Amino acid sequence: MSQLDELRRIIVGGNADQLADLKNRIESLEHRTNDVAEVLSPAIDKELASGGDRLVESFKEPVSRSLKQAIRTEPAEYAEILYPVMAPSIRRAISQAISSLLLTINRSIDSATSVSAWKLRMQSWRTGVPYAELALRQSLVYRVEHVYLIHRDTGLLIKEISSSDTQTLDSDAIGAMFSAIQSFVQDSFTAGNDSRLTDLKVGEYNVWVAHGAQTMLACVITGDAPEALKQDLYDTLDQIRTDYSIEIARFQGDSSSFDGADLAMSNLLQVRLKDIDEKQAARKSKVPLWPFLILAAVLLFVGYHWFERKTLLDTANHLLDNQPGIATTHLFWEDDKIVVQGLRDPDAKIPFATLESYGISESQIDLRTIPFRSLEVGMELQRFTEELELPSGVYLSEREGSIYLYGEAPFLWLQHNNNRIRQLAADRRLNISQLSPSYESVSDLLEQSFSKEDLARLKMSSLVVDEQSVLVVGGQLDIQSLTILQVMFANSDWVRLNVQPRPLKSES
Amino acid sequence: MDKKKVCMVGDFSVGKTSLTQKFVNNVFSEQYLTTIGVKIDTAIVDETKLIVWDVAGRDSLSPINLSYLVGASGIALVADGTRPETVDDLHSIWDTVEKRIGKVPTVVALNKRDLPEWSVTPEQIQSLKERGWIVFETSAKEGVEVEGLFTQLCRLIQ
Repeated sequence: MSQLDELRRIIVGGNADQLADLKNRIESLEHRTNDVAEVLSPAIDKELASGGDRLVESFKEPVSRSLKQAIRTEPAEYAEILYPVMAPSIRRAISQAISSLLLTINRSIDSATSVSAWKLRMQSWRTGVPYAELALRQSLVYRVEHVYLIHRDTGLLIKEISSSDTQTLDSDAIGAMFSAIQSFVQDSFTAGNDSRLTDLKVGEYNVWVAHGAQTMLACVITGDAPEALKQDLYDTLDQIRTDYSIEIARFQGDSSSFDGADLAMSNLLQVRLKDIDEKQAARKSKVPLWPFLILAAVLLFVGYHWFERKTLLDTANHLLDNQPGIATTHLFWEDDKIVVQGLRDPDAKIPFATLESYGISESQIDLRTIPFRSLEVGMELQRFTEELELPSGVYLSEREGSIYLYGEAPFLWLQHNNNRIRQLAADRRLNISQLSPSYESVSDLLEQSFSKEDLARLKMSSLVVDEQSVLVVGGQLDIQSLTILQVMFANSDWVRLNVQPRPLKSES
Repeated sequence: MDKKKVCMVGDFSVGKTSLTQKFVNNVFSEQYLTTIGVKIDTAIVDETKLIVWDVAGRDSLSPINLSYLVGASGIALVADGTRPETVDDLHSIWDTVEKRIGKVPTVVALNKRDLPEWSVTPEQIQSLKERGWIVFETSAKEGVEVEGLFTQLCRLIQ
């Protein structure tokens, strides 16, 4: 034993072995591990008993990292472990989503015939926004449409989630624009102040912004969201800040390390539909539309039917009343027939062809008229035309309310109808001032009865006597021929004779 | 995809917006420039999405709104090659910018290269290069060097 060892033995006495043992324990990894293992569990228990805050703080980061690493390397295994926990929640969430969808469909069907639904359809047609989207908006108290997580300094968008795919603009540009507007408002209106833009309202959209030290969370809302949503906004921002403090601090534009952040943000995609009671209360004053629709349809049908029958009646009245020889006094529908009351000349024709073209058949007309003699110009014209059998060159026409019989008529026709024509003229039913016998007809008659020598001695001219055109036959004829001529035109109102007897030749 | 904020800075009417228009996806209307003083567009270069802040130009009445530059990863300084004073102004503009956001990768666009009134002197270009900036003689009208400008800026900030 050396002197040093001797000295140590004198100083520490019997504890030397204990010291050696202690040294051995300290230097031995196995011993140290055993010692820590022995105290670790009681130490954790003790810390937890006093709240465990420090322990949670210490373990948060390593546990989080370990879990992430483990899940990345063995996702299938973790999915299997988590399945019993997650599946009921997922099922519940899906069930709720389906219920909500069914409720929405029910509401939409329920309101399909309402006035507001038709208004929405019109609005949809006018604006191009799908009907379903408009219907949903009307049923909404509020809906969070988009949530943006934005890096404050750079204005870069870290994450974005949406409740619908209605947005067409570039989200990154929108995120940056939020940041720009923030700077603009801050610089323009709150110089030197740390106030920040927290609310924006544009039309039906509200933008609420929660500000953190390095990030801001903006959500775009349609409708009137409750103030509680602001608290949710800040809670979510706090949670993201806690969960991703390192990633936020290191953020340079790569948002791939924020993959889980959208899960926290998705809590903000809230939708609240109007309560059924609320809708019903709103509907209390509303009368259901369908009785009106039925009534309107009935009225429309009756109205159309009435209008159609009225139109046919008016048409029939107009056509019949304008027909010469018919004077209607009353037309009305009786069953499916148009009853016509009034006066009718038996010679008057019913314009069935014209009526047919307006959809009124012959069998539909029930004439209950009293016969009368019509002196209407049209009727007279018709009657004279039928009665006189006009030869060519003779015409009947109506001028200024009078009927004219005019032209150059064959002498024999004039003679044949002379009495009738004269009678009508005397009754002032016919104007014959421009009617005259034709040269040819008289000339033909003369040629048949006289020799050429006699004809050469005769001349014809026209003359107006008492406003009547007549033909005058003049010249000289021997007695015998003159007698024949006088017999030929005896009592004729149309041909006058001015023929002198020709002196007989001396019988030398 | 990585995203980076870059800013277009320069005097009034040097062609910042024209250069941007030539290269980016237009998102917002130019009205924003006259209302809030900045227009934001995006462009994708080499797997990086550039968020381009086209900041309204500086003139005697209104300075550049430096708030818009905060957080920028790169700056494109733009001058009008037919107005030499706008090239000289780049130095003072940069000093102001640097005070606010520090040193960031910067490229320079001397725009309107297509015009006959081009009057940038070699000394002016040299003075810009001495600051370490890569200088592009661009024509927004004819699209000359526009892509090169943004590609270079993107490479510097990646």
